Amino acid sequence: MPLGEEYSGKLRWPRLMQDVAIVAWPSFLVASVATMVCFAFIDPLLIGHDDYPPPAFSTRMTGYAVGFFFFWLISALSSLLTLYLARTAHPEPPETDLAKDETRSVE
Amino acid sequence: MTGPEAELEGGLYEARQKIYPREIEGRFQRWRAIAVWVLLGIYYLLPWIRWGGRQAVLFDLPARKFHIFGLTLWPQDFYFLTWLLVIAALSLFFFTALAGRLFCGYACPQTVWTETFLWMERLVEGNRSQQMKLAKAPWTLEKLMRKGAKQFLWIAFALWTGFTFVGYFTPITELAGKIVNFATGPWEKFWVLFYGGATYFNAGFMREQVCKYMCPYARFQSAMFDKDTLIITYDAERGEPRGARKKGSDYKSRGLGDCIDCTMCVQVCPTGIDIRKGLQYECIACAACIDACDEVMDKVGYPRGLVRYDTQHGLEGVKKRVLRPRTLVYATLLAVLLGGFAVALSNRSVVGMDVIRDRNALYRERPDGLVENVYNVKILNKDAASHEFHITVSGLPGIEVDYAGPTVLVGPGQVQSVPVRVRVPRGGISGGVDVQFAIETTDRPELRAEGKARFLAPTG
Repeated sequence: MPLGEEYSGKLRWPRLMQDVAIVAWPSFLVASVATMVCFAFIDPLLIGHDDYPPPAFSTRMTGYAVGFFFFWLISALSSLLTLYLARTAHPEPPETDLAKDETRSVE
Repeated sequence: MTGPEAELEGGLYEARQKIYPREIEGRFQRWRAIAVWVLLGIYYLLPWIRWGGRQAVLFDLPARKFHIFGLTLWPQDFYFLTWLLVIAALSLFFFTALAGRLFCGYACPQTVWTETFLWMERLVEGNRSQQMKLAKAPWTLEKLMRKGAKQFLWIAFALWTGFTFVGYFTPITELAGKIVNFATGPWEKFWVLFYGGATYFNAGFMREQVCKYMCPYARFQSAMFDKDTLIITYDAERGEPRGARKKGSDYKSRGLGDCIDCTMCVQVCPTGIDIRKGLQYECIACAACIDACDEVMDKVGYPRGLVRYDTQHGLEGVKKRVLRPRTLVYATLLAVLLGGFAVALSNRSVVGMDVIRDRNALYRERPDGLVENVYNVKILNKDAASHEFHITVSGLPGIEVDYAGPTVLVGPGQVQSVPVRVRVPRGGISGGVDVQFAIETTDRPELRAEGKARFLAPTG
């Protein structure tokens, strides 16, 4: 952690820190909700129980935890892609010769 | 590229500077302290309260049952939780429309825990200027001791927070015993450290940056605002032009406003903004600047309220309205949802059933001319008392039911599986027909549930 000077008005996280935060945090929130909804309907002990005798998870707590991190991972991937697309987009449509021509013909 | 865009680029190379909010006393800070004590008091004490021989509030995930005092919720009652979340969201909208970001300043866990961590920091490192001096000072033994003591307090408090969190999901007295004996399970250990670690980093280091970069509410709360929403605001009309002046001097003749430009409002701000620049989304409405400014106004002998809670209409001198379409709509919706929730909860069925066909055989033709199907009936008793259940089946002429009866005892909060044989005279049907199952308690006939299953017979 950087040791601070007195308040100088320059209070900003580095870009990388912002990126990590806005990928990890919203996906954490979404994963929490997804875990709740999923396991309200599905008992982790019954996953994989039908076809083969050993269930997929030995205890429910393992099932919940694995489920939560799975949801976190896939929602984080989605956040990451969204962030990437938003960050790499041109702020404005690039100006082309064609566009210039069209403006001229309108005039 | 425009101005803010360029500033953002600059952010790439700039380390965040830590904000040392100046400590401040005043009426709103007293309210905030009370809120911290009440909310954290509830959080840390609730799992220790007992109710009818068990933990009063226990979200028993291993057993898939939620206990909330006298109420036990099952996975089938999940929609109550959804309903509660909708009510919580709507309450947030309502209070935001009414009084701005009350939640942020007084009740948000991020604020509440950050406040606690700030107290611990002040306890060990002293006030704002002492903290800044310590940060600049070389590493002496005293600095090491102070920083070490702060870390010890922070880590201990964070671990206690993580322990309490897990105590909502696994009985807390058992958990405490396991921790004392180093016998916690792997997941218990993991979640204590996970939640404790999150508390430590969020409240110790990330602090106001969470509100600025990570909080969605901070970005969309302005959608609930209108000109009658209570906000923390600087009265520019009265304050400007700001400037230093000698005490008791006739500043008005020099063309100065009431703001003496002491920057106290900036120094106390936990998010490091200047309220005099107007409403900003970084403002978490903690009202520290109000208390700071009031204190200064008292000292220089000006009336309080240069920075105050007010509405945009209030500042413009227009009549304030609390009752307006926005608040009325939110309030009505909230009342309907709350009423519906209470009614649904009190009418919730406390018995339930599930009928599953036996998979091993479609049907059996008996020598006495009956066709038999076997089912597995699951009786669910969500009530706090045990009940005796009758099982009946109807829907076909001459139908017979056979189970280990005449009644089945199911304990409180228990599920009981009962193999049930259903017989119908051969020739009565062909192929498949739906039959109705019903369970009913012997002591309270209104506690009943119904289910449906397919009865199969040979065709022809």
